Amino acid sequence: MTSFIIRRLLITLVLVFFISIVSFFIITLTPGSPYPWGELDPKISQTVKDNFRKQFHLDEPIWKQYYLNMRGLFSGDLRSVKDGRPVLERIGERLPATLALNVCAIVISLSFGLLIGVYSARNAGRWPDVTLSVLSFAMLALPSFWVSYLVVIGITDWFGTPLLGTSSYGTVFPNAASQFLDYAWHLALPASLLALGGIAAQSRYIRASMIETLNEDYIRTARAKGLDEETVSYKHALRNSIRPLITGIGGLLPALIGGSIIIESIFAYPGIGRLGYQAVLERDYPTLIALNFITAALVLLGNLLADILYAAVDPRVRLE
Amino acid sequence: MRFVKFLIYGVPLLLVLLFAGAFWNATQLSTSRKNEMIIGSIGEPTKINPILSTDSAASEVASLLFEGLLRYSSDLELEPALAKEFSLSQTTTFFFASPESALAAREILLGLRDRWAEWTLRDVAAEGRELRLDLTQPGLDTSILIADLLGIEPITSIAQIRAEVGDKARELLAAFRAAHPEIDVVREWFDYDAVFEVSVLGDGASIAKTLKTFLKEQKIENLVVTALDKQDFLAEPVVRFVLRDGVLWQDGVAFSSRDVAFTFWALTDASIGSPRKPDFDLIQSLETPTPLEVVVTYRKPFSPALASWTMSIIPAHILEGKPIAWWDEFFHRNPVGLGPFKFVEWKTNEYIRLERNPIYYDGAPWLDAIVFRTLPDPIANRLAFETRQVDYWNVDPWAVKAFQEDARFDVFSAPAKQYNWVGWNLRLPIFQDLRVRQAFAHAVNVPEMIKYVLYGNGVQSTGIFPPMYWFANSDVEPIPYDPDRARALLDEAGWEVGSDGIRVKDGERLSFKLITNQGNETRKDIATLVQDNLKGIGVEVEVEIYEWAVFISRFVMKQEFESLVLAWTTPPDYDAFQVWHSSQTNPDQLNLVGYNNPKVDRMIEQLRQEYDRDKIIEMAGEIQRTIYDDQPFLFLYVPDSTSVIWKDSFRIRRPAPDGGWMDTPVEMTKAGWSYYLQWFYRPEYADKLPPVEVPQS
Repeated sequence: MTSFIIRRLLITLVLVFFISIVSFFIITLTPGSPYPWGELDPKISQTVKDNFRKQFHLDEPIWKQYYLNMRGLFSGDLRSVKDGRPVLERIGERLPATLALNVCAIVISLSFGLLIGVYSARNAGRWPDVTLSVLSFAMLALPSFWVSYLVVIGITDWFGTPLLGTSSYGTVFPNAASQFLDYAWHLALPASLLALGGIAAQSRYIRASMIETLNEDYIRTARAKGLDEETVSYKHALRNSIRPLITGIGGLLPALIGGSIIIESIFAYPGIGRLGYQAVLERDYPTLIALNFITAALVLLGNLLADILYAAVDPRVRLE
Repeated sequence: MRFVKFLIYGVPLLLVLLFAGAFWNATQLSTSRKNEMIIGSIGEPTKINPILSTDSAASEVASLLFEGLLRYSSDLELEPALAKEFSLSQTTTFFFASPESALAAREILLGLRDRWAEWTLRDVAAEGRELRLDLTQPGLDTSILIADLLGIEPITSIAQIRAEVGDKARELLAAFRAAHPEIDVVREWFDYDAVFEVSVLGDGASIAKTLKTFLKEQKIENLVVTALDKQDFLAEPVVRFVLRDGVLWQDGVAFSSRDVAFTFWALTDASIGSPRKPDFDLIQSLETPTPLEVVVTYRKPFSPALASWTMSIIPAHILEGKPIAWWDEFFHRNPVGLGPFKFVEWKTNEYIRLERNPIYYDGAPWLDAIVFRTLPDPIANRLAFETRQVDYWNVDPWAVKAFQEDARFDVFSAPAKQYNWVGWNLRLPIFQDLRVRQAFAHAVNVPEMIKYVLYGNGVQSTGIFPPMYWFANSDVEPIPYDPDRARALLDEAGWEVGSDGIRVKDGERLSFKLITNQGNETRKDIATLVQDNLKGIGVEVEVEIYEWAVFISRFVMKQEFESLVLAWTTPPDYDAFQVWHSSQTNPDQLNLVGYNNPKVDRMIEQLRQEYDRDKIIEMAGEIQRTIYDDQPFLFLYVPDSTSVIWKDSFRIRRPAPDGGWMDTPVEMTKAGWSYYLQWFYRPEYADKLPPVEVPQS
């Protein structure tokens, strides 16, 4: 097991290195420039342009730019072309809000996914299951920006309640509880919308896996022993049905700090998704390089973690 | 098992309860407003520093935090701000072959004292070989007159030489001067450390050659040495600012000329890298004789430079000696200025909060705070406005009418500082015939375009200056829509209708590409309408749309296009050099269509040197008319920019011109509806305000 982990870690390192090269070239070869001014600003002189290129090493050959960027990233000195602040600081300041949103979304998608999955499996083939299946597929199929707009416009038009950002601005809160609930309200909507797809997917996985388990011989044996249906479902069947959840854990790590451009924009939520999106639009190479690198590393680590957990939960799986 | 059941049923139930509670709470929130204004903005400011930021979000915030020596009045004219007053003058220096001739020349001028008033001459001084004239009015006319009077012969001409060396310009020039003491360098100026320009006495060409040989020996890559114009004298305009006394920075430290000198240093230093530097490139020196006096000497007459002193001043006592990384990390996230509001808090991607500056020199504002909320989505912006989470909204043209008809809102509309156009690449033969361009102008139905593309919210453009500026020419009549006239003009130009309905001349079809950028629906609509209108007179237009970065880098800046749809944003500046002068037609320069009219070139050059207001209006008007008549662009329209605020959410109480206070509703000025922001207040907080002594509306 230890040697497996070490080997996988080494492979991960090599992979991250290659990913960083590929993503660096994709980023820098995109048309456009990171100039902070408009390309058509008549007042920018050549010396100002040259000076800017020098400051951000844009006049260096591309391999050297890669080297300088990576060195900056690891020494923590990589600075955004846009506001000159260290990119790690820019990412870090968005982390609390991003974590709050993503943890909520994950909790919502897991808990509702589990609820719907278990309920559907226990009622497999009957109308509640059919209804929930249709709903799940609808949730997966509907584009999130469309649903988000409908929700946002609907709530604004019918109730007139503020729902953008992380708090109702410009109002005086009567007490701390009200302020907390206001924060929860601003978190709940984007988190739920972000979780929609997750709920649908998780519930489908769990439903399928649980139906399969319920048809196993040992379940028949359990029932034959005279155990009540609740014990059979929750104690015997469920345990063996949660393996798909563990596969999903691999994706959780990057999802924790990942962002959703669309939902964050519509809800004006200050998350990492918007940081990345702005960085793409502004050709802020250093920020993009850091974000890509961190995401790639987390995806690979998540996969590794999922593999290890899988072996821990299921004794039949051996890591060689 | 109980735990498992709790996980499956309990957690979702708890979440639903929390959600419902939070929703109930949100509906119960008080709707009473604080004495604040909340502004929604699509973009997040990059850095709040007026000398470095170029994005509109940052400029908007910085304009409330900082203040310049000059500012624009509600009529968009320059007026004193931090400077109590300013005056213009000029030093003209002649160089003579010997001190004797300089003295003799002085005698001649002293003998003509009765003409000094006419020449705006204040004083004459001779020092060594130099004769200095002190003029009260900058410009070249008088100096040329006096040069003619003195006779060219005894005067030594001055040559300007520019050397692009890439690096170490100061060092190299010092070495050159040490190696060639015989060369008389009378002025030197550095563009960062990359370029230097010198004024030398004598034969420019031969000195340039000497300089080039010297620099070549230093093994400099990409060396360019150019001999610029030869002059008979140095005409150096001087602007003298007298600063207001007793002005304090928001942290309580006194403001002085040191801050101005520091701002100038920061604008022009390579380590800071300000994109606003080129506005200050013509300054020879900036001196601060006293803490309340700033004297700026320019290298040559250039009247538009005065407007650059609307540039905000940054605090020397905080920034001096700090590296740019420190500015980025600390000052740009926690700026200190001289403006009516002071910085309090910036929550990234959420809001920036400014509070009233109680020690603002021009009177503390009424509002307690101004909050800029970042709302990246246009629909979110509108919803935030409708739930009163922001106080105003910049309406899209299609929505203007609905808001105008809704009694709950006040709508403010005025022409934006920009114009949209279709540019014909004049390097191509088919666009070189004026009649063809005029035909296009007659063929495109601009009023209809305004009606359908802008829902009527705009006016037809009559040239390069939008109508709200004092120097714009209001007499230029837009070319009317007249397809018959258009057809006649094309016939006259020899383009005959061919078998497929498209006009042909000498075997060539009248067919070209019209390009514009992705992501701007208005421009796409314009392109389609132009295509359709021109089809009506037998012209084939193929519309192509490119992603912005590709559009700019592959076509526009390389000037490899046939025609394009674009817009120019126009600051209150009458200098048309970069966009219309024939020297600016190379790739990466901004005379994109290659417009070349020697008459316009000359007028643009003269206008830059003109300081007299009436003459500026006359010359700018003439430039606008000539370019409009030449039709290098099909000038389309100036769109309206429209803002909407909730009715009665604010009023204005500001000092009346004749003392006391006047109270008015929010109203439109040339500088926008929020020009008097400092004096905005919410009516529910009116009891905090001083009483109105001069009742108004």
